[in-house]
Amino acid sequence: MISLRGVNLDRRTREEFDDDVKSRVIALLTGRARKARRKTVLADVDLEIAAGEKVALIGPNGAGKSTILKVICGVLTPTSGVAEVRGRVAPLLELGAGFNPELSVVDNVALYGVLLGLDRRTIDARLDAILQFAELEEYRQYPVRALSSGMAARLGFAIATDADADILLVDEALSVGDESFRAKSRRRIDALWHAHRTVVIVSHDLALVRSMCEKVVWMDRGRIVAVGRPGEIVDRYVRAVDEAAVNALLRAVDIQQPR
Amino acid sequence: MQARRGARRERRGVVARRAPFFDERLRDVVGVLFAQNVKIRYRGSVLGIVWSALSPLGMAAVYTAIFGPTFARYYGGSHVLYGAAVYIGLVLIGFFIAATSECSTVLVQNGGLLNKVRIPFEAFPLATVSAHAFQLLAGSVPLLLVLSLVMNRDPLHVLLLTVPFAALIMLAAGMGLITSAAGVFFRDTPHLYELATFLLWVTTPVFYPAAIVPARLAHFLVINPLYAIVQTSRDLVLTANLPPWWMFGLALAEGALVLALGAALFRSMRARFMDHV
Repeated sequence: MISLRGVNLDRRTREEFDDDVKSRVIALLTGRARKARRKTVLADVDLEIAAGEKVALIGPNGAGKSTILKVICGVLTPTSGVAEVRGRVAPLLELGAGFNPELSVVDNVALYGVLLGLDRRTIDARLDAILQFAELEEYRQYPVRALSSGMAARLGFAIATDADADILLVDEALSVGDESFRAKSRRRIDALWHAHRTVVIVSHDLALVRSMCEKVVWMDRGRIVAVGRPGEIVDRYVRAVDEAAVNALLRAVDIQQPR
Repeated sequence: MQARRGARRERRGVVARRAPFFDERLRDVVGVLFAQNVKIRYRGSVLGIVWSALSPLGMAAVYTAIFGPTFARYYGGSHVLYGAAVYIGLVLIGFFIAATSECSTVLVQNGGLLNKVRIPFEAFPLATVSAHAFQLLAGSVPLLLVLSLVMNRDPLHVLLLTVPFAALIMLAAGMGLITSAAGVFFRDTPHLYELATFLLWVTTPVFYPAAIVPARLAHFLVINPLYAIVQTSRDLVLTANLPPWWMFGLALAEGALVLALGAALFRSMRARFMDHV
């Protein structure tokens, strides 16, 4: 169960130059010190996701989709409003983020699993199943840097999806590895999909959103534009994008033809 | 209780989950990060640990060659005793400086990860300090224990060594929390901290005997939390008499104070970390 009520999130903008003592002192002495500017990245977000629901977040880049995932998994704390999450959350990291290339495959399973929120005992018990799924049993003591990038991706996927989470957060990229592993990972995603798990995905693949999700959240500039059935929302979104493109084109033509 | 706490947070507009200072995951996360740090440092070889214990021995030899003729008279004319005193000082201050300096970059370096998964921030400095403490305990402490038994044949001394070591580890953990928090807000923290550690290095009687410090300044040496730690450790290892009890108390009090200060500072800053990493 995920419940965001009146969530606002301001973040410091990144163009600051006073990230060290030296420049901050100089700024103070020369009277150029100023308060860090903040940018609203989420405004007034109300979102209820029931247990077991499959939800997709769509919208242009910078709309705040990934930020919502970060709020749900607790990486970011709302500036105001309430984010309530019940159940264990597992973010599906970009493949390989969190691996230490120098450590062995076995050590990395422990590292990655703990970072994802599993406790040590669970990981040790699941180790063989994870390695088997990733087809890396013979590579136990190899350092991860010796694996191919596809193998590392398989390992990451195997750990993340084995993490018996109630809520799975997916930021793009659902399928990894070569053809045969892709089919296998697809089956596991399907299984997760049909088990009573909550899944929140951020995706630009509108066909996938339409076919696999039950609820779509359309976001733009930090606000929720609309929430509803995939068919309806995706159609409206596509229309809006098309209209915007046509308008931009017309404006461009307008500018190029001096009257 | 749970409901009331939740309600209070709701008013403050904070996610209800990220609250307790000692996250239930903290132990596991510190565990894997510690293992990662130690394994990378030694590549699974015991020789790596021994190697790390050799470098202060070499440095102590150099100090003895240069300063021994001048300072040995404070140690009953014994170059060996002076060299051993220097070695003890080097090992202790070396641990403190290496651990806390590494902490000053550890959060920023893991910024990418912190932006993706919820990890208790304090796990990073605590794991760094633990890894250095492991190196100290596995690499240098055995030699100190043997030295202590040879010098004064009193197991009580060996036992009492746990006091300055406990104080030292608290001190390093507290300072590590401070430098790691500072490192998030100020990227030049490592450079500034280098200056601070130089001050620490000069004001700690490592290669000079405390007795040469002018009486007017000697009172201020006590402020340096490493002073009591180094002095008690030396007395316990090298001499047959026990250091005064107030020195043990001072070492522990200063260590606990810095740890409490570091924890409080870290805790108050934590909410703002994500804007900077």
